[in-house]
Formats: sequence, structure tokens, C-alpha cells
Amino acid sequence: MAQKTAKTSVKITPSKEQPQQPDRRDFLTTVFGMFAGVGAVAAVLPFVRSLSPSRDVAAQATTEVDLSDIAEGSSKTVMWRGKPIFILHRNAEQIAAAKRDDGAASLLDPQNDADRVKKEKWLVVSAICTHLGCVPGKGGQHGGWLCPCHGSQFDTSGRLRRGPAASNLEVPPYEFLNDTTIRIG
Amino acid sequence: MMRKLLLTAALVLPTASFAAGSVDIPTRDWDFERIQSDWDKDRILRGYTVATQVCLACHGLKYISHRDLMRADFTENEAKKLAADLGVKLDDKLLSQMDDQTSVEIYGKVAPDLSVMNKARAGGANYVWALLHGYTEGDKIPEKYKKYFPDGMPTGSYFNKYFGGHAIAMPNPITGPELVEYHDGTEASVDNMIEDVAYFMQFTAEPELKDRQRLGVYVLLYLFIFTILAYFVKRHIWRDVKK
Amino acid sequence: MKMKKDRGPSPDILKDPAGWVDYRLPFKWLVNDHLIDYPTPKNLSYMWNFGSLAGVALLLQIVTGLFLAMHYKGDVTLAFDSIQHIMRNVQGGWLIRNMHMVGASFFFIVVYIHMFRGLYYGSYKSPREILWGLGVIILLLMMATAFMGYVLPWGQMSYWGATVITNLLSVIPLVGDDIVIWLWGGYSVGDPTLTRFYALHFVLPFVIAAVTMLHLVALHTHGSNNPKGIDLKKETDFIPFHPYYTMKDIFGLGVYLMPFLFMVFYLPDALGHPDNYIPADPLVTPAHIVPEWYFLPFYAILRAIPSKELGVLAMFASILILFILPLLDRSKVRSASYRPIYQQMFWIFAVNALVLGWCGAQPAEGIYVIIARVCTFVYFAFFLSLPLVSRIEKPRPLPKGI
Repeated sequence: MAQKTAKTSVKITPSKEQPQQPDRRDFLTTVFGMFAGVGAVAAVLPFVRSLSPSRDVAAQATTEVDLSDIAEGSSKTVMWRGKPIFILHRNAEQIAAAKRDDGAASLLDPQNDADRVKKEKWLVVSAICTHLGCVPGKGGQHGGWLCPCHGSQFDTSGRLRRGPAASNLEVPPYEFLNDTTIRIG
Repeated sequence: MMRKLLLTAALVLPTASFAAGSVDIPTRDWDFERIQSDWDKDRILRGYTVATQVCLACHGLKYISHRDLMRADFTENEAKKLAADLGVKLDDKLLSQMDDQTSVEIYGKVAPDLSVMNKARAGGANYVWALLHGYTEGDKIPEKYKKYFPDGMPTGSYFNKYFGGHAIAMPNPITGPELVEYHDGTEASVDNMIEDVAYFMQFTAEPELKDRQRLGVYVLLYLFIFTILAYFVKRHIWRDVKK
Repeated sequence: MKMKKDRGPSPDILKDPAGWVDYRLPFKWLVNDHLIDYPTPKNLSYMWNFGSLAGVALLLQIVTGLFLAMHYKGDVTLAFDSIQHIMRNVQGGWLIRNMHMVGASFFFIVVYIHMFRGLYYGSYKSPREILWGLGVIILLLMMATAFMGYVLPWGQMSYWGATVITNLLSVIPLVGDDIVIWLWGGYSVGDPTLTRFYALHFVLPFVIAAVTMLHLVALHTHGSNNPKGIDLKKETDFIPFHPYYTMKDIFGLGVYLMPFLFMVFYLPDALGHPDNYIPADPLVTPAHIVPEWYFLPFYAILRAIPSKELGVLAMFASILILFILPLLDRSKVRSASYRPIYQQMFWIFAVNALVLGWCGAQPAEGIYVIIARVCTFVYFAFFLSLPLVSRIEKPRPLPKGI
């Protein structure tokens, strides 16, 4: 029986015997609908949030690095937010080389060395090649780094000196907490 | 029909949330059991002092780092300073000062990690509080319990009134007053130290407690209004349906 | 061979996009005929809210479970830690986990009430026997899912619960021990067991959802039963599902969510066992192994019988007997309101089930075992006396309409 009605169900329309279809634009219903909508959106938030970095990962948003163990002229690679960062303790020669090239025509992404460091002695740059994300190694003809993937070269200021990358190594946000400690991030 | 069903369920269900324990743990009033509470920062620090200076000698708090203290309203610098005082970094976990093997050699077992202890025992903070109060002067067995230990306590175990079986491998850790010095000048009496460390362990077991309580009020309030509105909308829609 | 219904030419996609889609995918049939204009008896009580509530509960478990799975690690060395990671580090992780944990219990509460409603109003009777049977299959799948889910946190109760329950299968003659080893993937509950339980715990809810679809197909074939238990004939006995029952279900949802979320926020561990916050230790058995509350009646039946084999048999029989309930109850009258004897039996059965649950939480000794035995007897006696009762019972006169 119920099945029979099911088949003709589309035809169920308000009639004298049937209760009137309530007015859907009724004020109370509208208020309720909006109220429920707000709740539904709010209920989604914790799920969305749960996918953003967790507390322990967020704690790694900044990294403190002790510089005292980096000898002059050498560098150290540290991890910041899961990516490597080069910290180069530049000696006088390296500083001079970086400054000398400030206006060089061979700079593909011209930038002054002074704009790339906070203290002359310390160069802090991202160790991610701006081409396709490989990690460059020591080398190249400019006293800096050479990317093993496609041969991009960077100087002692982390500036791009030879293709195929398009820009200099990025300088991450950092600050000196004291003479031998920086905080990256 | 529904009322009857819910009633019978209401009568029987609570007994289903059993607590397996042969020992009666006295219940105390803890302010974190309220619907809304805030961690008492001073008390957290007092409990932390006891935990790090007494408990951590053998136990670990491996899910807790000093950064977690920021969830009890400590600033990053305060937390850092406390960490530095212990010679650790902000994100280092509070590991036991005793390695597992030494623990086994001395106590016959590895001292359990305390991070979630308050959730892992029926009674929670009450249990920790009671257990630490459950030792006797000079580890003597009270008359009432002598029948369980006719030959005295088994080797390597100590009498504890509130421990299941009453023979615990942990000697009384709060041996007397003034084991620690409190930052706020509170008297480090045995009672205070026990109360504070049980409180601190509630924090280590559920640092999210405050967030939970805070959000809960809003959610339930919303839901209450939602349901009332829904009821009236429903009644409104059904007004023409003949019984 | 019957030809497909001729649907005529397709509407133009630009003039009538909805019609164009409907010509290819009959969403109007799906949405309109089954959710909006679906004719529903107008006299359904609030007991009929629990079906849709169960659907919501299932959906909530799937959603929360999915997000938990993005942080959980199914490895014995990492599982316990990963739960703590979810509770402490994942943003709002505690909320999602509490919802999943408490949600399991509330899912069972809803489904049990739903089943008792069916039992009282004879919703399992012709022509709804298969509808009922599909429901019992859903219950079995839920039990398997819940059991395996409880193993995942890899606490003491997880480990020992898994050990005890899987060992039940060792009673199978000849191959029992081999089956248990096969199930474990080793010689004890261990890493392979946890990993496969995780995989199954993830997929079974989708199987439940699929069977639920069949459950709904069966339901919509003959429509809902109603508190009078009579076949409704007049068109005026029905009202469209929307907005009447959608709104009633939404109101019911609000009533349901209040105690549910209260527990999520204020008593998240009340229905769990503290021992499960102790990492699994194969060397130390907890003093008192207790399953989750929703298994307690069946656990009580298991322990009530002194023989291991018969106990296991009785436990499985206590659920499987639900399948043949429509065969056992021969009465043509559906609603217990018109069946004087059955009505009494129903209430005895309901109380008996609760007492069984209580017994399951008690230690298996002394008076508790005796009570459990009596209750086990009553449990089965209810079903087995139905053929006789339905024959001798004189139903009260049925109403002509609603």
C-alpha cells in the first residue's frame, strides 16, 4: 500500500485534507536557518584547523642557532622549518669579494651585499636553489655555491651569478639575539 | 514507551561506567573539575618544582616540554628561563634523570612515565593525592592490614594504604617537609607538596583541559538555543497536521 | 526482456540544465521522491527519530575518524604516542578524538534504542523482515568496527581486550588455534594485528554505509512502520517527509547533540577505561578486563556459561538469533500495544538486557554469575517462547486507522 503511494507521491500536494505547506519564508524558519548555518560553518572549523601545523611543528617555526662554532671562512647548514639554511661566517676576503661585485654586470638579479646581510661577517641564506629546489653545494667560480642539478652558481653573498635559476638565494627572516646567537623565523 | 526506556537506561547505565579498584580512593574538590576553570599558575609552578626536583629523579614526563607551560599562561621567556635552570631547551621533553636499567636494578621495574598518570588511574588526581598520602610512618604495616602480610612486606616493596594490593615498589617520595623551596614562599609542607604535584600532573595529563571547558560552554549554549528554535520551527510546521 | 522506459528526447542543456542532468542522472527521483515528497505516516512518534540519528552518528564517526587517521600511526611503537600527539599537539585534535571516542558510545545508544523500538512495534514483521535483517548486519559490522577501533590506541585494555576476544575463536574445533594465529598474523596480538585492525577499522564504516543504503532501499519499498503497527491505506495518513520529518529530525538532532557534546567537552573519558591510558604491556594483565559498555550484555552471556565452547556459542547466538526473530514471532499484529503478553515480555526483555549489561561490568564470581545465568536464560527464553506465545496470545482489537 505504502508502495503504491510512493509511486504517486510526486502528486502529493496541499489539498483540503492535506495540511497546508508551511510558508518557507516564514520569519522563525529564516532565523533558525541562519542560526543553523552559522553553527554548521563553525563546526567545520576545527576539522580544517586540525590539518594546519600542529603545536610541536609550529614550535619549529623559529630556530635559534649558536654561531660560535662556525670558524671564519667556513659555513654551517642548519634546518629551519624543515628546510636547510646556509650560515656563512665570511672572512675579510669573502666580504670584500661580495662588496666588490655589488655593481657587477654579471649579477643576474642585481642586489647590494649590504641589503642581504645584517652583519657583514654573517651571511644567512636559504639553501634552496631558486631554480627547482635542489640544495647547492660548495663550489662554482664565485667562491660561493654551485647547484648540482642544473649548474646555477651563487657568490659569497648568495647572489645568482650563472643561470638557469632566476633569482638570488633567499634571505630568511632572522635576528641577532646576541653576538653569537641568531633566531631564524 | 520512550520515557520508560530512557528511565530504565538512566538507572542502569551509570553503573556501567565502572571503576575497577578494590581500594576506596577519597574524593577531593579540585578546581579543575568545575565547568570553567583556569590553571592556577602559581600552583602549576609549585607542582612543577616538586615534579622536577623529586619525581623526575626516577620518573619521566615524556610528553611534556617547558613550552607546554605556555598553555598554563607562562610566557615564552618564563618557560625558557625554567628550562635553562634545568639545563635543557624549551622543546626538550622532561625525561627521567634515571635510565631504565638503573631503575630496574633499584626498584625491579621501570618507573612509569607520569605524563598521563592522572588519566591512567581510576580516581585521577584523587588517586595520586591518596597514593602519596598512603604511606605510613617508618613503612610500618597498620594492624588492620597485617593479615595480608603475615611475613612482613615482600622485599623491595613498601606498604601503601591506597595502592591496589598495598605493596608498592616505590618508596615514599615525599619523605618530609621542605624537600623543595617554593618560588612564592608557600610553605613546602608534605600536604602542600602532594596537593601541588597532583594538580600539576592533571595539567600534564590534559593540558587542553582549559580549552575544552572554555569552548564547551559556548558550544552547549549555542546548541541549547538551536534546539529551542528547532522545537518552535517544528511545532510551527506541524501546526496543521491533524492528529 | 523488458525494455528501458522511454524517456523521450533530452531537454536542451541551455534552456533546462536541471532537466538535462535529470535526464541522465535522476536526482529528482532520488531527492524528491525519497527525501522531500516521500510519503511518511503522520503518526510517527519520537521513537522514529533514532534511525536518522544513527545515520548522523555514523557520518560523524566517519568524518572524525578520517581526520584522526591523518595523524594516527598504526604501529605498535608509535600508536600510543600518536594518540598523545593528537591530544596535545594537533590543533583541536582533542576535540576530534573526544568526539570519535564518545561518538562510538552514542552511536550504540542510538542504535540500541532504534532496535528496541523495532522490537516493540514489530517493525521486523512482514514485509520488513529483510529490512530488519540488514539492520542486524549493520549491528554486527558496528561491533566489529568498534572492537577493532578500541585496539588502535594500543593501551592496556586495547591489547588485552584484543587478546581475550580473538582467543574466543580458538574454540572452533580442529582449526581454532590456527585461525587465531592467522587473525593475529603472529603468535600473539602484535604489530601485524594492529596494522590490519587499523585497515579494517578504516574500511568497515564504508561497508556499514553501503549496507545502510540497502537498509534504506528496503525501508522505502514499503515505507515506515508506525506506532499503531497497522497498514495505512488512506492518502491522508501520510505527510511528505519534507518539511515535516526533516524538521522533526533536526529538532531531535539538537536534543541528541546536547548530552553528546556535553560528554565530549566535560566527561570525555567517563565511558572509557583508565587502563587504556597505560601503554600496552604483554607482561602485565590488568586486574579486571572489561569491554566497552556496549558489549557488556554479550560479555555477560559469554561468562555466564561455565563451558568455554558453549559460552562463545551462546554469545554469538545471542546476536544471530535476531536474524530469525521474524520467523519466531508468528503474530500478525505488529505493535506490542495490542499484544498483552508480548508487551509484558518486551519490558522484561528490555530490563533483562540492562541487567545483563550490569552483570558484564561486575567480576565473574559469586552472585553476579548466578544473576547473569538467570538473565541469559531469560534472554533466550524471550525469543524461543515467541512461536508459542504468538499462537496463544489474543491480541487486543486493532484500530481501523490512525
